[in-house]
Amino acid sequence: MIGSIDDYLSQLKKALHGCDRATIQDALSDAEEHLRTALASATAHHATVSEADALSQIIDSYGMPEEVATAYREIEHRLTPALAQPSYPEEPEEVHREKDERPLLVRFFGVFADLRVWGAFLYLLFSLLTGTLYFTWAVTGISLSAGLLVLIVGLPFTGLFILSVWGIGLVEGRIVEALLGVRMPRRAQYRRGGTGLWPRFRSIILDGHTWLSLVYMILQLPLGIAYFTVLVTLIAVALFAIATPILQLGFDISVVTTEAGAYYFAGWMLPLLVVAGILLATLTMHLARYLGRMHGALAKALLVRR
Amino acid sequence: MSSTSEETKKFQKELNAGTTALVLLGVLARASQPMYGYQIARLLEANAGDTPIMKQGALYPVLRSLESSGLLESEVEPSVSGPPRRYYRITEAGRKNLETWRGIWERTKALVDSAVRGGEQ
Repeated sequence: MIGSIDDYLSQLKKALHGCDRATIQDALSDAEEHLRTALASATAHHATVSEADALSQIIDSYGMPEEVATAYREIEHRLTPALAQPSYPEEPEEVHREKDERPLLVRFFGVFADLRVWGAFLYLLFSLLTGTLYFTWAVTGISLSAGLLVLIVGLPFTGLFILSVWGIGLVEGRIVEALLGVRMPRRAQYRRGGTGLWPRFRSIILDGHTWLSLVYMILQLPLGIAYFTVLVTLIAVALFAIATPILQLGFDISVVTTEAGAYYFAGWMLPLLVVAGILLATLTMHLARYLGRMHGALAKALLVRR
Repeated sequence: MSSTSEETKKFQKELNAGTTALVLLGVLARASQPMYGYQIARLLEANAGDTPIMKQGALYPVLRSLESSGLLESEVEPSVSGPPRRYYRITEAGRKNLETWRGIWERTKALVDSAVRGGEQ
């Protein structure tokens, strides 16, 4: 009934329907590694056995797709909350329920105690840097590939460039998982594009995953600029507001100094300024959390193979 | 009859759910070098005798969860004949856990044995 490894994998994928996409990718690559290794060793040792017979025996001891899918489901269900408490926001209901019980004020200012928000903040600031790198790499690679395709070196160059795109996608996935807490796949999917060089190359080029990763790399620059600008501006304004009383009263530094004279805030404004600064800083952290979530969803949509 | 075997299967499955992690840690603690999934599965198959106790596919998610909790570590290496393989190796934390788990296992085993064979002795 299951005639080939590809059949098995597509049935396994169906059986895992509804699981986390990263889990599906992990499960598929585990199964593929096992089945191909087992099949290779079976056909090497008993040359007389037909491939279909060997495969059905291997699948018999590996487990049918439904059984294997159940194993992954159960492990994810059983172990994720206990072992990886802070990093996987996969159970949003529980988190929200817990938070809803806290008073509004605590929820509002509690954002400073949330490590994930600091992670998101860091990620968003760094996205300017990573965005610049990704954008440069992607644009250089695309234009060089396109330009060189008329020459014979164009093909291997394009192939290498696409491999590097997949690699960057995986690395970015690790960063996103560590700082934004979105579960991303841990390894690349092994691909069989065919036996010859040309069919394999064609399958790489026609693979939607490659193009989505490139879109992500290019998008990262404008997004990174926006994140960086907005966050740095807001935090700078907030810090200015908080620091003003100290500067003005302690060091006699004015807000603005012109030839006409120096401008100071009136005494009654100073406490208000501090309050406004603290509020703004807190709101900025909430914004960072929101942007981090959005960006995590974007990374998951573009970098994880469907 | 089929309901009995259904119950037996369920019993075996629930038992496996608890012991697989211990078995995997034990195997990797004794291994002299990192092992990949298929190797581990073959080793267990050879030790299990005639009737296979667990589906090999159920080992992999446990390996992954042990890794994500820091008891194992792994790296992917390309292979000549097929897809790249993930080699697993036990960590220091894994060895410590194995010690504790072994103690729990001994106590559990003693309890189960005395309950099941209690009348005969």
